[in-house]
Amino acid sequence: MGAIGYLYKKTLINRAKTALRKPATYFLLAMILFYFTIVPMSLKTLVADTGIGTPEGMAGMLTVIAFWLIPANLIAYAKRRGLVYRGSDVHFLFPAPVSPKRVLIYAYVRTLFMQILINLFAVVYGGMLFLVDGWRLALYFVFSIIVENLLEGSIMLLLYGSERMQERQRRLVVKTAYSLVVILLLMAVFTYLREGLTANLLARFLHSDMIQMVPVIGWYIAVVHLLLLGPTAVNVAGCVCYGLFLIAMLTAAWRMKCTGAYYEDAMKFADDYEEVLASRNQGDAVRRLGKKQKFKQASIRWRGKGAAALFYRQLLEYKKSRFFIFNINSVVALLAGAGLSFLYKSEGGFGELETYRIFFVPAVAAYMIFIFAGFGGKWAKELKSPYTYLLPDSPFKKLLAATMIQHVQSLLNGCLMTVPCAVVIGLEPAEALLAIVFYMALSAGKLYSLAVAQIIAGSALGNTGRQLIQMLLLSVAIFVSVMGAILGMSIGGKLFALGIMNLFLILFTGIYMVIAALNFYNIET
Amino acid sequence: MLEVIHLTKKYGKTLAVDNVGFAVPDGQTGILLGPNGAGKSTVIKSIAGLLRFRGAIRIQGQDSRSLEAKKQFAYVPELPYMYDALTVREHMEFICRAYGIAVPEERIESLFHRFELSDKQDKLGNELSKGMMQKVSICCALVINPKVILLDEPMVGLDPAAIKELKSQILELKEAGCTVLISTHMLEMVKELWDVTFVMDKGHILGTYTKEALASEDLEELYFSVTKQTAEQDAGDGR
Repeated sequence: MGAIGYLYKKTLINRAKTALRKPATYFLLAMILFYFTIVPMSLKTLVADTGIGTPEGMAGMLTVIAFWLIPANLIAYAKRRGLVYRGSDVHFLFPAPVSPKRVLIYAYVRTLFMQILINLFAVVYGGMLFLVDGWRLALYFVFSIIVENLLEGSIMLLLYGSERMQERQRRLVVKTAYSLVVILLLMAVFTYLREGLTANLLARFLHSDMIQMVPVIGWYIAVVHLLLLGPTAVNVAGCVCYGLFLIAMLTAAWRMKCTGAYYEDAMKFADDYEEVLASRNQGDAVRRLGKKQKFKQASIRWRGKGAAALFYRQLLEYKKSRFFIFNINSVVALLAGAGLSFLYKSEGGFGELETYRIFFVPAVAAYMIFIFAGFGGKWAKELKSPYTYLLPDSPFKKLLAATMIQHVQSLLNGCLMTVPCAVVIGLEPAEALLAIVFYMALSAGKLYSLAVAQIIAGSALGNTGRQLIQMLLLSVAIFVSVMGAILGMSIGGKLFALGIMNLFLILFTGIYMVIAALNFYNIET
Repeated sequence: MLEVIHLTKKYGKTLAVDNVGFAVPDGQTGILLGPNGAGKSTVIKSIAGLLRFRGAIRIQGQDSRSLEAKKQFAYVPELPYMYDALTVREHMEFICRAYGIAVPEERIESLFHRFELSDKQDKLGNELSKGMMQKVSICCALVINPKVILLDEPMVGLDPAAIKELKSQILELKEAGCTVLISTHMLEMVKELWDVTFVMDKGHILGTYTKEALASEDLEELYFSVTKQTAEQDAGDGR
């Protein structure tokens, strides 16, 4: 076995062994199994209602995916960004006497696991939801795993590894990929102009012959149509083009000279990837691959001393940030608010639950904050910084100073979510105010529960263990506030219930804050 | 023998290394010196085959990008990165397979023993401290019995025992005829190792000095005298 084969084998075995020792793996597997069972059940009705539960429906879905995936991959490979190498690859593999082409294939094959999983998903659901014949699905699976990867792998080798291709030619490939997308869009417009706005306009467009004539993307779509729906003159012609293109690409990739000039770009990408991973491990979801974080010029007037330094340092960082204190949570909050308002408007209310409408905003907020609990933002970074602990001030002041801006952030995000809903749903000002307070209190609960989780987990449990404890603590706070709401309802109506709900939540957040402050002496505790 | 011939490297419009050339003969240790930003890392990464460049680099007379050259070349980067899911022992096995060599068990055991890794063989890459990673990185470089070895700040993160061991390994490599190139700021650590030194600044080699020619002058004095001279010249030129 060669070095790369050995690397795959040992990595797989050791990862499996490590994963099986962690309880979180079983939890994750149970979640995946649950979703794999529940998703087709819920989708079945949806697919039947929309009338796409036929082989044509599946071909249409795969066509839409191809529109997005094929150009995206072409662009990524042409920019030498599509493959992920780690620092360890740069350290050991790049300087080793291993053919640079093999090093490319090694990174490409690593992406296959996910591809096989997605295609298995497509095959299983293709049979269940789209009623495609088993033999056709088997053929599609073989095509997507073997043939399609031979083609994509060859294109990847040529675009990533070619040393004859100049930067100008790479840019041309990127432009061509965008042009193909533009051609497809123009075809959509043409179909609309020719046929008008009819019920099955989208289906006509997705299965039209002209799409299957578009180079590369269209040829793939032709193969999919042939495999799932049977032969037509156009899809057979498309398949022939696909086959010829495959042979040409394979031959060119086989004969291409590659001495590893791409290592420079791959190394830069690997450095970036390691940085992003490190940022994500610290709970920073802002950092994106291939994009260096840009900072503006900014200044502040430093006031106070001790813990106040934490607050002003954060403020300076936010002032230098492109979007100030607004982040992905602000976008999610705004979208959630808009979505809820749209749902209310389009459905003409919440039906039987209309009387409980004041609880909808807090309920959606609770769900969002809970599922995004893993992203700790600046607070998670603060908890990992030794300076936070070394600052000569009381733990309580440090805790407050380090989280102050995040409270302001959650106030603004709470407003972004609540205000549109309050207008559309027709909430009273007091109700809207209580919904915003709920958002703020739960966000604060998320921050302090992370500190408490860190105390409980110590250094013995990893990130996953800490996150699970945090989610458990957050669940307890949400559960208690729901109990408060039920109690409030039984005593004095909905507004009173919302008030008690907030009170209970603030109480629990306060408890978490005190626990966090009392133990805020060193990183270990 | 390691030969760097008219090496030029640009990052966009920035010229990082300008027409640099030097050679380190068999059985000698070359030291690459220079302040931060001098272009040392660029030279080292170019030799290791990690960068595109103009000019030529030869390892034992062969183009550094060829597989034949790579088989005789070992590289210890400044920052070691391990495969998270590979144990220390598996890293060695992986390297042996990558270089297509069969290394006797005793050789691997001896390296582990010398760098105090014997009890860490089953540790995974992500369980190692920085210093341990550096030791594994050095062992992986030594296990292939290289003809040319490139060490970028190899002493950083090592404990005194490991530094002592590394120095004796370098002397053994020299005796065996291996070419060694070290880039370091820790001049005290390499004073008994070096044969030739190359002082770099602003992408140029300012001077090449052999140990014999310098006689009593030590590396630190040499480094400061050369860089000070250049700074004064720059100030005189109004640069």
